[in-house]
Amino acid sequence: MELLINLTINGLATGMLIFLLASGLTLIFGLMSVLNFAHGGLFAWGAYSGVWFYSLTGSFFLGILGAILTGAILGFITEKLIITPVYGNHVQQILITLGFMLVLTEMLKVVWGPNQIAAKVPPYLAGSYEFGDVLIIKYRLFIIFVGFLIFGIFQYMLQKTKIGLVVRAGVMNKEMVQALGINIKRVFLYVFMTGAALAALGGVLFAPYSGVIYAEMGFEFAILAFIVVVIGGMGSFSGSLSAAILVGLAGSYMAYYVPALSLAVNMMLMAIVLIFRPQGLFTAKG
Amino acid sequence: MKRKFQLNHYLLVVIVLALVIFPFVSDSRTWTILLTQIFIFSILAMSYDILLGYTGIVSFGHAMFFGMGAYTTAVMLKRIEPTMGMFILSIGVGMLLAGLISFFIGLLTLRLKSHFFAMLTLAVSGLFLVLAEKWRTLTQGNDGFTFKAPEFFKDRVMFYLVALACLVLVYLFLRRFVNSPFGRVLVAVRENEQRTRSLGFNPLHYKVIASVVAGVIASLAGSLYAVSLRFVNTSVLTMDITLDALLMTIIGGVGTLIGPIVGAGVIELAQHYLSGLAKEYPIFERWIIFFGIVYILAVVFFPRGIVGTVREQIWKRKTKKDGSKPVPKKEVL
Amino acid sequence: MMKTLLKVEELHTHIGQYHILQGVSFEAREGEVSVLLGRNGAGKTTTLKTIMGLTPASKGTILFEDEDIKKRPTYVIANSGIGYVPEDQGIFADLTVEENMKVAMRKEDDATLARQEYVLDLFPDLKTFWKKDGGHLSGGQKQMLAMARAFVHESKLLLIDEPSKGLAPIVIEKVMEAITEMKKSTTIVLVEQNFFMASRIGDRYTLIDDGATVHAGAMKDLIQNEELKRKYLGIG
Repeated sequence: MELLINLTINGLATGMLIFLLASGLTLIFGLMSVLNFAHGGLFAWGAYSGVWFYSLTGSFFLGILGAILTGAILGFITEKLIITPVYGNHVQQILITLGFMLVLTEMLKVVWGPNQIAAKVPPYLAGSYEFGDVLIIKYRLFIIFVGFLIFGIFQYMLQKTKIGLVVRAGVMNKEMVQALGINIKRVFLYVFMTGAALAALGGVLFAPYSGVIYAEMGFEFAILAFIVVVIGGMGSFSGSLSAAILVGLAGSYMAYYVPALSLAVNMMLMAIVLIFRPQGLFTAKG
Repeated sequence: MKRKFQLNHYLLVVIVLALVIFPFVSDSRTWTILLTQIFIFSILAMSYDILLGYTGIVSFGHAMFFGMGAYTTAVMLKRIEPTMGMFILSIGVGMLLAGLISFFIGLLTLRLKSHFFAMLTLAVSGLFLVLAEKWRTLTQGNDGFTFKAPEFFKDRVMFYLVALACLVLVYLFLRRFVNSPFGRVLVAVRENEQRTRSLGFNPLHYKVIASVVAGVIASLAGSLYAVSLRFVNTSVLTMDITLDALLMTIIGGVGTLIGPIVGAGVIELAQHYLSGLAKEYPIFERWIIFFGIVYILAVVFFPRGIVGTVREQIWKRKTKKDGSKPVPKKEVL
Repeated sequence: MMKTLLKVEELHTHIGQYHILQGVSFEAREGEVSVLLGRNGAGKTTTLKTIMGLTPASKGTILFEDEDIKKRPTYVIANSGIGYVPEDQGIFADLTVEENMKVAMRKEDDATLARQEYVLDLFPDLKTFWKKDGGHLSGGQKQMLAMARAFVHESKLLLIDEPSKGLAPIVIEKVMEAITEMKKSTTIVLVEQNFFMASRIGDRYTLIDDGATVHAGAMKDLIQNEELKRKYLGIG
């Protein structure tokens, strides 16, 4: 029983981290059909910059803020320098964002060195709760809490605010949004920056969770995020939460019961979804 | 036109001859090894360009076929016997495997749109990497294993010549391939898939065959690579290999066959020199950044790469001189 | 003499490699309904899209209030006072009727809300389905929503693409009534295949064939001209 609970919590926590990465990716794709292969790089930058701010200020909270800010700034640069010049050309987009991913990853090593960096859980989040016989690690609960909080905030914004309406409308029909007098490119820039900030948030939360950070982590998580985006449906925000949880849980259970298959299962899931249901599992529209 | 055409051919023959003579006049071991490496990666990059440049498909899973060749050869030389015959047989087996697998993967995935295809190839090649890491009895995972190369290759020069011969053969074969009616349809698919379909060609059919050809040749490059190192580990299946092929193709020039070869040369040489410089200036340890930046600039400003841009300039100058209109050109070089 | 609000001259548009518009010219005078007529594929829809900046023009001028808007981005064109109702209505399927209207509103002040009330009085059905998803509306309701959305601001010019398409005669009647009402306060360019409808609400016509203007004049002349109707519209 304890094992099952812990596996579930673990899976949920990983799922939330993937969700933070995938939610931005999916909205960016839905809005402008841009698939950003550099998104994982922003995740890694979030982790490094967050840990750096944390060690500098001694406050984990400031570390998180620093990561979010770094993510938003990098998002701005990416959109202006990398995405804008190749709007509409898919092949160029794929090529250039992958190239930028490479640059982002290597830049990390230039700034912070090529070795792994240790990251600590802040004291007030360290340790675990005891529920009867069951021990639950605090920090994992914290990640799950933040994940649901972010989902709640963004879901509210998407459903209830004007900018959220515009984003949803843009995902459905971007020509019409423009014909109604809205500068969709600016909306897209905001979404891109927000998506980058979310990815960076995911990165900094991941750091104490895994204990170490390394430059290639961006790429590893990006693959999971792509899987989630495909399973959840391109452009679907809530779909990406369900899919991220699914992928997180599957990874967690598999890693324990059938370790050889843990990563393979998710990839196979994605392949099957792409081949038989390319619009995603969690989208209603056929 | 006719004379220029032949001039190019002479130039190629001269370069190849120079390369054949090179190891006999120079006894630089470093250069022999470096050039061998360039030949092998040229083969890989050319195969990648069949997808990217000629058919307009972005695959992030090309390392899968390279790795398949590398492992097939390594395992067969290690487990059975390190002879020349086994080496040739293993190349054949690797190519067959790569051909079959690229055929089935292509059939299932090539109908997808570019984004999805790129993601899926990324995932599938990831699967192969995981497979290789878990199947330790065969591959010994990330630690890898060493093996003996056939006696004939004890002399590095022999292997150098074999790699060069493979490069020339692959080049000649691919040039025929892309200039054939089949190759023309591939370019048509790249330019306008809808229209190609309406002309009665099934784009999927052509894309699948292009990906089989690319996969088979990448496997050959992998076989040679394994023998050149006499060692193999899972790094042959990683994204780095695909990235190398991508950088070489983009920087050298997509949609040409010479481009990837030039790109392979430029990148391998630069890697060699820059990592030499790194001993004094640590920034050069991150040499890949420079290529990343050059690559990004190339995608935006020189999408035709070195060879394509040079050709374009020559072409412009020529058409300016005689005032004739540019004609869509055949693959000359 | 009425003022010319929109003047399109020698418009050329390429979509991909295809040369769709090859010299469309027409003008819309203030307070009138100008109808673009022509066969399927003649280039009427592309003309509207080009005016909106959705398919960029390769040659020609688009003068709106004497300024060339050809190079401007779509949202700037929309904000300068041109409303657009596309052929497929462009309803945001997963948004409710209310939300669809909200996306179109640049401000949510009292004046705009009052204007919305006025527009909704033109299309009373929309109030009934206020909380319903746009994707669940009937064809006629979608058409009305699209028109209401374009009209929620006091647009100087409305571009409406085939409002009668796929609608039942009784619904067409309603749409026509609405257009007649809208005409009182704005100028309209209408693309229409339904000649009966076009002839009843149109003031002027422009005939487009193979991407170019072939004929233009007052609607009442066209109604008399059996030869033109047969040649370009296949009726009469």
